Amino acid sequence: MALLCRATVLQTQTHLCTNAIVPLRNFSVSSPLQQIIKLSRLQVVDNSAIGRAAAISGRPAKCIHVYNKKGVGTLGDKILVAIKGQKKKAYIVGVKQKQKPFVPRFDSNNIVLVEESGMPTGTRIRVPIPSMLRGKEGDFTKILSIATKFI
Amino acid sequence: MAAPMKSVACLIRGTCFLQNAILHDTRFMPRACTHLQITRGRRRTCRPPSWFVRTRTKSHHLNQQELTAENKGFLTEYVEDFYTKKFEETSPLKDGPWERHEWHSHTFRTGVLAVKIGVIPQWDNQGRKFHTTLLQVLDNHVIRYVPPPVFEQSPAFKSHWRNRNGPKYGSVVVGALSCDPQLFTKEYNNLFTEAGVPPKRKLTRFIVTPNAAVQPGTPLFATHFKVGDYVDVQAKTIGHGFQGVVKRWGFKGGPASHGTTKWHRRPGSMGGGREKSGVWKGKKMPGHMGMDWRTLRGLKIWRINTKYNVLYVHGPCIPGPNHCYVRIMDTTLFYRKQAMEDQPPYMPTFFPEDTGDSDLPEEIVDEKLFSFKEPSIRYEEEASTTKKAKR
Amino acid sequence: MNFSLFCSALVVPCRFSNTLATKLVERHRKSKLASHTREEAETKDTTVLTAPRDYKFVYPEFLPDPTWWKRDRIREKLEREDMMRRRSVIEIPEFYVGTVMAVESSDKYAPGKKNRFVGICIQRGGHGLRAGFTLRNVIDGQGVEVQYDLYNPTIIRLEVLKLEKRLDDELLYLRDAPQEYSTVPFDMEPVVLPPGIAVPINTMKVKLGPRPWHERWERQELKGVEDLGLPERFYKRAAEVAKPWQKHDLMRDYRLAINEDETEEIMTDVYGKMQGIETQQKLRRRQGPGPAK
Repeated sequence: MALLCRATVLQTQTHLCTNAIVPLRNFSVSSPLQQIIKLSRLQVVDNSAIGRAAAISGRPAKCIHVYNKKGVGTLGDKILVAIKGQKKKAYIVGVKQKQKPFVPRFDSNNIVLVEESGMPTGTRIRVPIPSMLRGKEGDFTKILSIATKFI
Repeated sequence: MAAPMKSVACLIRGTCFLQNAILHDTRFMPRACTHLQITRGRRRTCRPPSWFVRTRTKSHHLNQQELTAENKGFLTEYVEDFYTKKFEETSPLKDGPWERHEWHSHTFRTGVLAVKIGVIPQWDNQGRKFHTTLLQVLDNHVIRYVPPPVFEQSPAFKSHWRNRNGPKYGSVVVGALSCDPQLFTKEYNNLFTEAGVPPKRKLTRFIVTPNAAVQPGTPLFATHFKVGDYVDVQAKTIGHGFQGVVKRWGFKGGPASHGTTKWHRRPGSMGGGREKSGVWKGKKMPGHMGMDWRTLRGLKIWRINTKYNVLYVHGPCIPGPNHCYVRIMDTTLFYRKQAMEDQPPYMPTFFPEDTGDSDLPEEIVDEKLFSFKEPSIRYEEEASTTKKAKR
Repeated sequence: MNFSLFCSALVVPCRFSNTLATKLVERHRKSKLASHTREEAETKDTTVLTAPRDYKFVYPEFLPDPTWWKRDRIREKLEREDMMRRRSVIEIPEFYVGTVMAVESSDKYAPGKKNRFVGICIQRGGHGLRAGFTLRNVIDGQGVEVQYDLYNPTIIRLEVLKLEKRLDDELLYLRDAPQEYSTVPFDMEPVVLPPGIAVPINTMKVKLGPRPWHERWERQELKGVEDLGLPERFYKRAAEVAKPWQKHDLMRDYRLAINEDETEEIMTDVYGKMQGIETQQKLRRRQGPGPAK
């Protein structure tokens, strides 16, 4: 019952603020550290239909696995997300956590969905992307090619 | 009546020991010096070692109170004159330095005794930031050179420093921070007669090979090392007193709540098991933490300031708090030492005559370090493509 | 050399028993017995210009870290020299929290190897070469913040687009405010102030968005924020945890700041050198964009 209540609260309040996802929870997950771990909610920033549908429905993408040994995702890490009842791979392209000098910090945790083949699901990224992703290990060329702005 | 008499006696005593300092026959000098004794593990006794010489006079405060202002001034002048003017005549350096030898990869040179003065960030010429620790070489002199056969008799000599030809290493005692001799006992002051320098606040000993012997009285500068060299750094860590396992070894302790009683910062069980039962040696337990010698090896010297004798050494984590003594010597890491053959260091140390007529520049900067006089760093288009290609 | 000072009991606790007291190091640096490494007594030039009273607010990073055990005169001096060298190469203008700035820096990964970011300065801090600031902007509906080192050699140009102050020392609450408060266009034209005028203070009050927030803003004495409109219990709790006595704590002030004499000494030194640097920069500006710009 309590779970249901929380879900409805989350749903109604996310409708109110359309621009960014504000985690409205009555319990703390990792908000002081602002880390991306399992069960973190993330914002899909490409123009894929599934990402938009998830944002509208009030149940944004949820991280269910981080593909590194630490279990904490940062810029450029690959993760597995649950979105609209599907499992999808995604790359983290913007984080809330405090960053080093010259590395941008964003107001939300942003991801770009990719298919199993490595192709991005969307055709365009709506927000700026940190240019330091080029220096990271991993195959970002396709993601970078659909980006519109770099910081 | 008694007070003035006492003060006169004190004055006489003050000047008298200075003359003793010269006249005193070195044969009767104690073998020892109060250098930093580095032993494996920690000394567990409070009794002074056999070679200990008491440094500080106990009555100095009292003597100072009894002296009149005039007498104090006279003593001050006398001491300054004694160590600046008269010692120029008696200094052992006037006969010229000892013979200088070539450096090879088995050479151990002497080190220097510096004071840690802080940590500041620096950038390399690729724009990467790192921290450097500033170490100031304050007023360093070589106090004594002990050749290998004599050093072999010392209690500090380790048996593995011998080979079939005999002892391999001698030692060099280095002192830092010149002081007023009235602070110290006669025995301590006598240690410095050979070198012809004022008594030093701190003494330390370095192991050297005979080809790196240094004449007593030789000043040591920050330029004893070259920019780009790698050094080992030894210092005492900050003392924390008797600590439990959570602070000393980083154990997790127990939960803070949920019905826990008297089990918050405890080490847990130990000594269980069948074949491996019993508490093993080296088990991490509560005990004294810090105030212990630590060595960091292979730190690069990025920059030298010759005006203030400051070394910029790589890394923010040189042991000890600010203004602690730090021993700096050439690295013993094998590959680093091999690499030094391309750029052999000054042997046995840097002499101002080495540079010829030209003075050293005030700042000597490593070629890979960003010098703040240069314009901003810009990346070339080509450089990045080659880097990508490498990937 | 003062014997009574030399023998005075400079006792340090056991924790630091291998160390020298700062005073003692200073005395040894200037001691006449120190032969070759003695510092020359600096002759005080009486004709030196004294810095204006508010100079420490213009260039706050020249004041060293007031933590007593981190302080050392020579280290601070060497650090300041480095900063001056850097300032003579690129122009680091006067700016405050609330100022709109543009930073152009070389970036290995950016197209054209250069990166330009425009935003409001929301935070400024650090001492010496560690000094830095944070810029905030909203791009395509996405809030972005970038932290910069002031003396990083990859910075090519620092530009002040609109010089102004705000009512608070930090504007971190802009993260919880609507986006229009921190939006700055990238192609903003620099606003030129008439010469000789004091830096204007922007008295704008920000209306924060609904909770949850990054911090409990009601517990901080913020001047640039409109009424938060919280229930009574929040203010009650804020009053309970407040520390109103701290503003009367003289010892706390003493510990957290460099004392006035030293500040004046440092600022006079800085002011003298900055005069020379500023005249050089003016000359360079007249000659046109140079390579070091």
